[in-house]
Amino acid sequence: MTETSVRNVLSQISKRPAAIIGLILLALQLLAIIFAPILATYSPVEADPINSLQPPSSDHWLGTDVSGMDVYSRIIFATRINLLISISAVAVAFVIGVPLGLLIGFYRGPVSSLAMRIFDFVQSFPVFVLGMALVSVMGQEIWNVAIVLAVLFIPMFARLIRAETLSLRERPFISAARCSGATDLSIMFRHVLPNALTPAIVQISISIGMAILLTAGLSFVGAGVRMPTPEWGLMVSAGAQQMILGIWWVSLFPGMAIVVSVLCFALLGDAAKDIMDPHTRNRR
Amino acid sequence: MDRIVRLWRTMPRPARILLARSPLIVPQMLGVMLVTFVLVRLLPGDPALLMLGNMATPENIASLRQRLGLDRGIWEQFVRYVWNVLHGDLGISLFTSNPVSTDLMQRAPATLELISYAMILTVLIGVSVAVAAVVRKGGFIDILSRVYGLAAGAIPDFWVGLLLIYFLFYLGGIAPAPFGRLDAFIPPPGRITGFYTIDGLLTGNFAASWSALGRLVLPVLTLTIVNAGALMKMTKTTFADVYRSEFIRHQRASGLPERAITRSALRNSLPPIITMVGFLFGFLLGAAVLVETIFSWGGLGQYAVQAVINSDYPALQGFILVAAAFILIVYLVVDILYELADPRIQV
Repeated sequence: MTETSVRNVLSQISKRPAAIIGLILLALQLLAIIFAPILATYSPVEADPINSLQPPSSDHWLGTDVSGMDVYSRIIFATRINLLISISAVAVAFVIGVPLGLLIGFYRGPVSSLAMRIFDFVQSFPVFVLGMALVSVMGQEIWNVAIVLAVLFIPMFARLIRAETLSLRERPFISAARCSGATDLSIMFRHVLPNALTPAIVQISISIGMAILLTAGLSFVGAGVRMPTPEWGLMVSAGAQQMILGIWWVSLFPGMAIVVSVLCFALLGDAAKDIMDPHTRNRR
Repeated sequence: MDRIVRLWRTMPRPARILLARSPLIVPQMLGVMLVTFVLVRLLPGDPALLMLGNMATPENIASLRQRLGLDRGIWEQFVRYVWNVLHGDLGISLFTSNPVSTDLMQRAPATLELISYAMILTVLIGVSVAVAAVVRKGGFIDILSRVYGLAAGAIPDFWVGLLLIYFLFYLGGIAPAPFGRLDAFIPPPGRITGFYTIDGLLTGNFAASWSALGRLVLPVLTLTIVNAGALMKMTKTTFADVYRSEFIRHQRASGLPERAITRSALRNSLPPIITMVGFLFGFLLGAAVLVETIFSWGGLGQYAVQAVINSDYPALQGFILVAAAFILIVYLVVDILYELADPRIQV
């Protein structure tokens, strides 16, 4: 990236309050991840049955849950788990999905249409149901949740790249590259890929948000990570029984953490779309 | 051959659409069965041991292995599985000890009732907010819809459900308790459709209808709040495009009343909305799993969660099969409706 384009992106960001809010929220989460041991006031996994279900106070800022664990400290530490799962799942899906989409877009034939049918098929299952089944079959480990989410997201990236590749491969500059003796491999990765990446890059941020929601949902029903791992969805479920009794803090705060985190990635995704897609930029 | 072609041409368009689309479901269902079959084969270890649990004796395992045909080739096993499914045999649940198909049939109406009402409310709210926002651009509803569209995608449904319980049941005391489909002292109405609200009316058991309706409020509201946002955003984009188009401008110039203009713009943005509604059924089915858990709904979703927690693989396999079949049928109906709604599509 040249200096002018960096400056261009920065000026685009500064014009968008939504993007700035998104970046601030992202920075806050990164701080929570890096400085979790310093920011937390209690251990995130140690039970303290004497102090169970304490309302928010100066001792326990956001109260304690049913086994006496500090809600605030667990929320801080959970940022690590939730973002680790979601970001690594999306990263794996991107790294596998992008070349796959490039291949099936570039070489049309029975194999590539079969691949598309398989993607259609995987995507026709309700995501949450399929995720739940896969995690329960593979075993409820943090990494299995990430792997399952990656598998569910691969078709999304492959599809986006394929759609771009299909139109790019007919363009004159590809024929020009071919005439000058470029191999298929170098055409794909040097000429097609850089021009096809934009929608997939925009999708990264949105997918991370979706992954956070899915992880939390899986843990909430007991098909994701297990206690006492600090994870937002699991924390909401730990307070679900008490909500009926009016004990609101156990579920409320981790739920807010989910909303803030997903909102952050949604805002960043919107901003990325606006900045990288010249059509929407000029229309404003 | 000519006669068939001529017959095809003389058939009314809806019949042609139906005949062209419906057979697709056969290979799709085979694919679904392949997935559910492979899913259980993915399990590490012996499926027979997993199905029987740790208390199984070696004789039990051997006999189940033989009954499942595990001692035979993989393709033969798959053919057997398809045969069993086609005859309604989905195996025996380890947890309830009932045939899985019986369990699923018993619970399906609870989930369908929940999803149907949620769907109706989602479409009503999603579409009307979108239309109001586009027609009065920059107005109060437009601004509200932007905030809602952004927030709705970020809110976890299970959390919304809990908040509604806290505010409307615990604090407000307006909503009934979040335990099941009926108040404790009311017997369920006789089973006709399986929808308590409708069965109550049909059997004259109005108390049951009323109670069921009350119990539906919170879970339906939860599903609607979370899912109407996506539909609203999509409808807004489509409807705004149509609303700005040439033929609408022409209608306005010809002096048509605004109501008629809005109606014709909505009619023309119908096809993508129908597709989105199809996807929403899938989302709602997934969300129902979470919402049913919160409200002890006793439907398919809760059954699936129990199956996951108890490692009840036949039940889980059956649930996925039924869920996927349901979604495929919804998509088929959506495809057909899409073509009916848009006469420009060639059949």
